[in-house]
Amino acid sequence: MPRLEDLSEVERKTVTFFPCMEFDSTPWVSLSKDLSQSKVALITTAGLHVRGDKPFISDFKGGDPSFRVIPSNTSPADILQSHVSIGFDHTGFYKDMNIAFPIDRLRELVDRGVIGSVSDNYYSFMGAIRDPRRVVDDTGPQVAQLLKDEGVDVAFLVPI
Amino acid sequence: MLVALVREHVEKVKPPRALFVPFPYGHTLGKPNDPEYQHSVIASALDLLNRPSGPVLADFQGEAGPKELIQASAVQPSTSTINGTNPADEVTSLRELYERWVTDHDGRTMVGLSGIPQRRFRGTVRFMEEYAQNGGADMKERPEDVSVPQFMRYCVDGIKAFYYEARMSQRSNDTEEEIHSWFWGETAISKLIQDVAKRMNETDDAELKVFANGLAR
Repeated sequence: MPRLEDLSEVERKTVTFFPCMEFDSTPWVSLSKDLSQSKVALITTAGLHVRGDKPFISDFKGGDPSFRVIPSNTSPADILQSHVSIGFDHTGFYKDMNIAFPIDRLRELVDRGVIGSVSDNYYSFMGAIRDPRRVVDDTGPQVAQLLKDEGVDVAFLVPI
Repeated sequence: MLVALVREHVEKVKPPRALFVPFPYGHTLGKPNDPEYQHSVIASALDLLNRPSGPVLADFQGEAGPKELIQASAVQPSTSTINGTNPADEVTSLRELYERWVTDHDGRTMVGLSGIPQRRFRGTVRFMEEYAQNGGADMKERPEDVSVPQFMRYCVDGIKAFYYEARMSQRSNDTEEEIHSWFWGETAISKLIQDVAKRMNETDDAELKVFANGLAR
């Protein structure tokens, strides 16, 4: 988003009043190997899922805290978005899903030798979650465990 | 490592590594169909992995500027065009352009959320028309665990993606503002979407009003 002072009144209020958790400390782990040897996973809050998988729902109180697994070798033709909010412009995503789910870009980074590999699975959460506690307590740790199980070195989080 | 759209939230959450980008919602990596620009954002994010300690909050130096998303209420509809058009026929008239979009993009499309193939979207239009008239419509394709208003949102989302992709197939140089203005100003389907939202808004059901606000505002 542009800086708050550059937003319209309506947008500024939306951002300012959207609930946000506050933490006092930061967990820190340094990358233990070269990036060119590291396995990278993509995680988005764009509300994506594989075509045929269950879409996210918009009427869940506080936001849908569930997640979807998107195998990294999924054809982009089989990826759909169920974050149906009209609060953001979908046009850029229609044109090119890499704008919030850089599936092609990460492949190119492997080819260029910048990163070692991509994980077998990527993950999507829903955006606009007003009450993130279930993500923090439940589904977030579940995905973290899946990433650890797969030996992922770097999690790359991209919202929309 | 995170690309962040709301700087104020990063300051509160304090994730280990965040790259703030000044782009509008929906445009996290800056520019669609510009791989090298997207790579420059990703490279800036990956660069944060070299920092010895954190939390790190870095700013991506990109040109952004405020960009207001054009909603229905901001567009003066061309009523003469809209009133003379049957929405189902309008859908059919866009089919060829939409199918060209899909072919040109290796099958990539954001149409499909309702599970109803676009060649049967005339039925979806009928569902919307019935709903706008009496609020009691339903479709046999609706999964049992998906409420009617939720299914309506899936249907409308798919129809909008269909219209936008068809339009972009025909006029690839149009700006996003031009596409929004066309959709809300010149299409019969946009009037129907607003009629459905109006029907939802006319009830006392607060949840239904939220759904209405998610269709058009």
